[in-house]
Amino acid sequence: MTLIRMSGITKRYPGTVALDRVDFHLKEGEIVSLLGENGAGKTTLMKVLYGMTIPEEGDVFYKEEKVRMRKPTDAIEMGICMVHQHFMLVPAFTVTENIVVGSEPHKGIFLDLEQSKKEVGELIKKFGFHISPDTEVEKLSVGEQQRVEILKALYRKADVIILDEPTAVLTPTEVDELFEILRTLKKEGKSIILITHKLKETIAIADRVVILRDGKLIKDNVDPAQASVESLSEMMVGRHVDLSVRRPAKEIGEVCLHVKDLCVTEDGQDKLKQINLDVHRGEILGIAGIEGNGQTQLIEALTGLRKPQRMTLDLDGTAVSGSADVFLKRKIAHIPEDRLKLGLVKELSIRDNLILGYHREPDFCNKYSLLKRSYIRQYTKKLKERFLVKAPSVETAISSLSGGNQQKVVIARAFSRDPDALIIAHPTRGVDIGAMEYIHQQMTRLRDSGKAILLISADLDEVRVLSDRILVLYEGEIVRESMPGELNEVQLGLLMTGAKSALEKGV
Amino acid sequence: MGNISNLAYIVLVSTLRMSVPLILAATGGAFSIRCGVSDLGCEGMMIAGAFFGMLGSYITGNPWLGLVSAMLFGAVFSMIHAVMHVTYRVNATISGMCVNLLGTAITPLLLQVIWGIRGKSVQVAAFSALNLEWMKKIPVIGRMMAAQNIIFYLTIVLVVLGWMFLFKTTAGLRMRMVSENPQAASTVGINVTGYKYFGVMMSGVFCGLGGAYLSLGQMNMFIDGMTSGRGYIAVVINAFGRFNPLGALAGSIFFGFFDSLQTVFQGSVIPTQWMMMLPYILTLAVISVGLRKSRSPAGVGKHHD
Amino acid sequence: MREKIQQIKDTKAFQSLITSVIALVISLLLGAVIISLSGYSPVESYKAILGFSLGTKNGIALSLSQATPIMFTGLAVAIAYKVKMINTGAEGQLYVGAIAAAVAGAYITFLPRAVHIPAAMLCGFMAGGLAALFVAFLKVRFGAGEVITSLMLNQVLILFTSYLANGPLKPDGSSLPQTEMVQETARLTRLIPKTQLTTALLVAVITAFILHFILTRTAYGYEMKATGLNVDAAKTAGIHVSGIYLRTFFISGAIAGLCGASMALGTNHRFVEGFSVNYGFAGISVAALAAYNPLGVILSAFLFGVLKAGSITLNRTTAVPMEFVDVIQVLVVILVAAPTLIRTLTRPFSVLAKGGK
Repeated sequence: MTLIRMSGITKRYPGTVALDRVDFHLKEGEIVSLLGENGAGKTTLMKVLYGMTIPEEGDVFYKEEKVRMRKPTDAIEMGICMVHQHFMLVPAFTVTENIVVGSEPHKGIFLDLEQSKKEVGELIKKFGFHISPDTEVEKLSVGEQQRVEILKALYRKADVIILDEPTAVLTPTEVDELFEILRTLKKEGKSIILITHKLKETIAIADRVVILRDGKLIKDNVDPAQASVESLSEMMVGRHVDLSVRRPAKEIGEVCLHVKDLCVTEDGQDKLKQINLDVHRGEILGIAGIEGNGQTQLIEALTGLRKPQRMTLDLDGTAVSGSADVFLKRKIAHIPEDRLKLGLVKELSIRDNLILGYHREPDFCNKYSLLKRSYIRQYTKKLKERFLVKAPSVETAISSLSGGNQQKVVIARAFSRDPDALIIAHPTRGVDIGAMEYIHQQMTRLRDSGKAILLISADLDEVRVLSDRILVLYEGEIVRESMPGELNEVQLGLLMTGAKSALEKGV
Repeated sequence: MGNISNLAYIVLVSTLRMSVPLILAATGGAFSIRCGVSDLGCEGMMIAGAFFGMLGSYITGNPWLGLVSAMLFGAVFSMIHAVMHVTYRVNATISGMCVNLLGTAITPLLLQVIWGIRGKSVQVAAFSALNLEWMKKIPVIGRMMAAQNIIFYLTIVLVVLGWMFLFKTTAGLRMRMVSENPQAASTVGINVTGYKYFGVMMSGVFCGLGGAYLSLGQMNMFIDGMTSGRGYIAVVINAFGRFNPLGALAGSIFFGFFDSLQTVFQGSVIPTQWMMMLPYILTLAVISVGLRKSRSPAGVGKHHD
Repeated sequence: MREKIQQIKDTKAFQSLITSVIALVISLLLGAVIISLSGYSPVESYKAILGFSLGTKNGIALSLSQATPIMFTGLAVAIAYKVKMINTGAEGQLYVGAIAAAVAGAYITFLPRAVHIPAAMLCGFMAGGLAALFVAFLKVRFGAGEVITSLMLNQVLILFTSYLANGPLKPDGSSLPQTEMVQETARLTRLIPKTQLTTALLVAVITAFILHFILTRTAYGYEMKATGLNVDAAKTAGIHVSGIYLRTFFISGAIAGLCGASMALGTNHRFVEGFSVNYGFAGISVAALAAYNPLGVILSAFLFGVLKAGSITLNRTTAVPMEFVDVIQVLVVILVAAPTLIRTLTRPFSVLAKGGK
């Protein structure tokens, strides 16, 4: 039976058409993967289904009846629930409170906590989720938190569960656990829509694949058994893209960045335990690991943003220590992990952002602290052109730029100052594929000009493609070094979750 | 010996009386924070309550109706904060300060316009100490209890009711979720805007009541600027008390103690100005040292879209 | 040509200017409503205000002299807001500035005028600056929000200066809470004789230009802007934000201190208890109307000065209370803070305008 049918859905935002007459259907008991690039419209389409967005045109049919969803409660009442990419949980509340809030069992105006705990406990047991109803959500792991989100849907007796990029924050093992849960739910008669841009996972779990591109439906009946990563990505992007070409290093030189005995303690916990690493000139050293295993602390220690408990840091043999401005002056550049939060001031112009961090250097600022305004104007104009930043002028505010162009500004700023070492974090997060290619090219070019690059990324594919050498970071320790081609994706994934012994057993 | 116990008695009675406006305002602040909105507008809502409470009593001759008027106008002033911050997304500190500035500016204007006087209003019907005979007979605390007026007892009831609402009802749970993660709350169908308006309105009602205690409970008139920063002290007490009416109660009694010292030591060797400074210095000390520990709800100041 | 106009219209600066103008107009209209509700004629009242404040020599002098203290406090609030700090402590800062300047002016007898005045002003500057520095220190070291700490410190400082003026610094035989008169050599010159207008006005205007220069042309000003708009990005870029907060708030308090100093040395020639008519808080309105732009503060302080001067006469000729100007000031802050609110309020007018075509 066709459970859901959406026809002719059109949604416009000022300046763009997010969805252009899109049709979509979901049959009972099937797992559909909704595939598309960032900005293809997949999340928007599901927001329409979930009542969070109202389309300009188009109809939605649920169980063959036309329905009008005005708010999430309408969708929930009908049995459509969404598990969001960024969990909609309250860390300070318990599992029970998070699950029942909004549909609480009650005695008059009072919350019936006993009944809530009972109902939640039964649900946990039924689906074998293994979490305690009384734990505060902030104490749970990411995978466990996701299970709480799924429980929210199950508690509300959802027949259709929409999962938005569920595997973005999971380790390969946790992904398998999630897929087991999804198969169990399917057996229970639930229907599932998976919003994703992960191709391998789509092929692994989906019964059917729907592809959106630039707001339009491209194909809605792709059989994952017949498809390949290449065929899917061609349909997603509209052209042949090969992000998996490795460009090996031409010549690896001396050690440029030498880190010894780096220890960071935070809130009584050891976040980094005696990290040793060396980055050579002409090399990209990749740090693979799930977020939260010490990456942020590593980045901060190596850029002067945090004073570690202990560290020996040498750049070309000379010690480096001090605050962030010292590191920048010593030519250790930094591409931060969150460009809008840490890398750019979005209200200011491209021009102002291009000198951020370097504004006191002699070419921008004279000895009386006065800015050399006309020189800055010329310099930044040339830089914008050189790095292909798409914007009307150098005076445009950063907030008007796309994610990819914003990242280009950050890259232009760091690369143009001729750094000796570069610490670069999650460079292509939230960046469209064209910009991604460009950024990878630039990084490779910088490496080939003899600079040392330390790459930290949660995107294992990116790490594997770009790095000349990989270190796996788990719970603050480097657990393994891998030369190119030495370890495959599954093995790296296991190491990232700490399953070192399992790996050694040859699992 | 007798003198010391006499002094202790005076100080305790005074402490309880001085803490009432703080308890009410801090509880109001708790409602505000617990719906995700900063409680900085307490001072303005308090002074509105003090003035309009007096006005209500003046017009009707009945201090109870004065209380009603105070709560009403406290709510009206709180709506300015709500509209600016919740609907028009103004920074809550700024919109809170606007409420405070408005209260401070409009009350002397109204004094001029209505009575043509400056500085303080005429005397109005107010509340006096209970002085119930049966109460006085209770051992140890009887005389102290009888020396309070009815608003003190009303306050205790309201604090308990407030606590029960926030932590025991479904509506309270939902409102607290709004203060922690408004986006998440909206995805389960909670009316985030509605709860924010409600919380801010309740804070206006409580702060207004707190202000009315000053003009109708402690005194029987309105004096220009009579809140003297108590609203801001309430903001600190609220943070100190973990954004919880019971914590507000405890914190306010602590501050009320220091506030009461100045009435007790008036006219003594220590110049009045130094005694008057005590509550403010204490607030500064508390802010510097103590506040680090209390963690406010994660979604204060955030909107759901 | 049309494109150029559209380009100018799109800039943030132009939009804030429009917001401020509309906010002022609406506030004045609301002021008119308040006046008429109080039983007086708004037309007569505004005519009286403008006629006096801008029409007569005494009026202009009064307008300018009323504008001077709030220009100082407006600059103080504006510069602090550039790093997103809200200086609610200007009132306390100007009180300590006043008493420091009054003491330096009264008790130092051996300096010539050219040195005495700057020295006394400097004392006021430092006193206000240190008071603000204390608040900024609490913020940087303990994370204590500057709004409440400044307000609490206000009370402490005002009470402290009151204690001094009633006690140790009170001249023998005087019954009024004030200090000794300052020496001749420390008194600011009057720009127009027999008025309250002194050279302090020039000091304020020059300060505004200095602040503007710092903000637009120096590396420090650039760091201030970055810190105010995105403190995390500023930190990542190696900017020492704690230092920026401390220095900027010090400057803010110091300018407020200058306000007090200029009142003590220029207008009153001594420190007088309660001399400030809420100048500190008026500074918030002045800064808001000027969109926190130092040059804009000059204009906005003048506008409020005109209103204030007018309201003083208004009280003499009609019975409209002086306090209504305070209410208008607050309305301006409310409206400027909520530009979308202004758009909602003015939508009927713009629809009419378009319909008219």
